[in-house]
Amino acid sequence: MDNGTSFISVRSVVKEYRVGDSTVRALDGMDMEIDEGDMVALMGPSGAGKTTLLNMIGGLDSPDRGSVIVKGMEISSLNEGQRALFRKNNVGFIFQFFNLIPSLTALENVLVPVMFDRDPPFDRAVELLERVGLSGRMDHVPGRLSGGERQRVAIARALINDPMIVLADEPTGNIDSVTAREIVSLFRELNDEGKTMIMATHDRLVSARARSVIKMRDGHVVRGKAKSRERIVHLADRKASGGIRRKVEG
Amino acid sequence: MERRTFNAASYSLSHLRRDGTRTATTIVTISITVAFLLLTSSLLFGMLTDGGGDRKAGLLAGDIPGSVDMFTEFRLDQEISGRARNSLMSYLLLTSAMVLMVGFFIMYNTMAISVMERRREIGILRALGLSTKEVMKLFLLEGAMVGFISWIFALFFGTPLILNLASYLINRGSESIFFVMPSMPLALVIGSLLVTMALSTISTYIATIRPVGSSPVAMMRTRI
Ligand SMILES: Nc1ncnc2c1ncn2[C@@H]1O[C@H](COP(=O)(O)OP(=O)(O)OP(=O)(O)O)[C@@H](O)[C@H]1O
Ligand SMILES: [Mg+2]
Repeated sequence: MDNGTSFISVRSVVKEYRVGDSTVRALDGMDMEIDEGDMVALMGPSGAGKTTLLNMIGGLDSPDRGSVIVKGMEISSLNEGQRALFRKNNVGFIFQFFNLIPSLTALENVLVPVMFDRDPPFDRAVELLERVGLSGRMDHVPGRLSGGERQRVAIARALINDPMIVLADEPTGNIDSVTAREIVSLFRELNDEGKTMIMATHDRLVSARARSVIKMRDGHVVRGKAKSRERIVHLADRKASGGIRRKVEG
Repeated sequence: MERRTFNAASYSLSHLRRDGTRTATTIVTISITVAFLLLTSSLLFGMLTDGGGDRKAGLLAGDIPGSVDMFTEFRLDQEISGRARNSLMSYLLLTSAMVLMVGFFIMYNTMAISVMERRREIGILRALGLSTKEVMKLFLLEGAMVGFISWIFALFFGTPLILNLASYLINRGSESIFFVMPSMPLALVIGSLLVTMALSTISTYIATIRPVGSSPVAMMRTRI
């Protein structure tokens, strides 16, 4: 970016969790830069700190040491109220276990992040569900949807505020491989429209279609590789044709 | 598809509906509490005003055929000694306070359990960008809805039921019993609404403020 920092930069971040008498160091001097418009697969063994890192970038948690800067904004120093606002406006979260609200329909779930808005974007929620291929399922509660359908609802929900960053924590962890392929294609589409995607995953299907792969172990980066930096450069072009691309129903 | 809206009130309502059994039992207990309070306070007011004054100004006042003015019904013989009267009044006050406390704790308990069960949900809401204040609003709305419905139940079912049961027991066999509707002054009707709303929202607030404010990451890790 203009001021020399990347779109997202994680600098010497340390995060420890206390479990009883011992402490677990989830992030151990983590350093990372992510460009705008990138599509990153975070890989590494269980316990490497992937989820913890996503939580830091998404402003869900704050580091013990170091800093997390997004769009030139030091989010590690925001208070909880400011972080909530940051999350709402800039970040879409997608989780392994979908995390939908069981008592609400698909459509209502998509509207949850904006339910306190003066004029909740009802039409946009409908459009997003149509886009992820759920036009016939809007009034179904999560209990009546398949795993893949639930994850699509979660994706629509993540997009309701048109965030710049989409963070997905093992988005295909509970989904069969055919559906997973569709979900990844959808991610790729979103990325083509300019969203910066960061996905923590064990799934080769996901990492194969990412633009960059960052490997983590024991709370730091072991190897980071941009598969094709030059492709990210075309972001401006992609953005120009962006916006919600409507998918034909069915 | 027809145009609909979705807001905080619909969220709270859908949760109350989903948790139907608990909602219903809470409403029943809180309305019993409020019905009791209505009876004791009618009696108290009756003693304070000697059952006189503008008692017919009530919302449920006496034009209803077969209705009973709670003041006259409960009015004590005016010749009762000052001491007896005072001690009776303190009994009534004490009972009211205790009934109020029981109602408070029932509501507190319900919301405290609800908030524990919904830790994960709260974590999700916070992750999606709702502030602590907004999540609190959802719980307060639920508490207020339960309070309001309980008050309606107390006014139209609870109090009449207690009154009719009592008059049945008292007049058993002596004459045929018709259903009677209590009437009470507007001040009591409005006062009881205020007390019920205060009871339900304050107890909800105390039960939920701490858990709702804790770390969203920790809450989302909860598995139920
Ligand atoms: N809230 C917490 N309390 C205690 N320990 C935690 C907490 N969150 C994470 N940890 C620990 O921090 C380390 C990193 O956890 P994290 O969830 O980030 O790993 P991960 O790479 O996402 O693993 P997985 O692939 O299994 O999801 C682990 O050892 C984990 O046990
Ligand atoms: Mg994880």
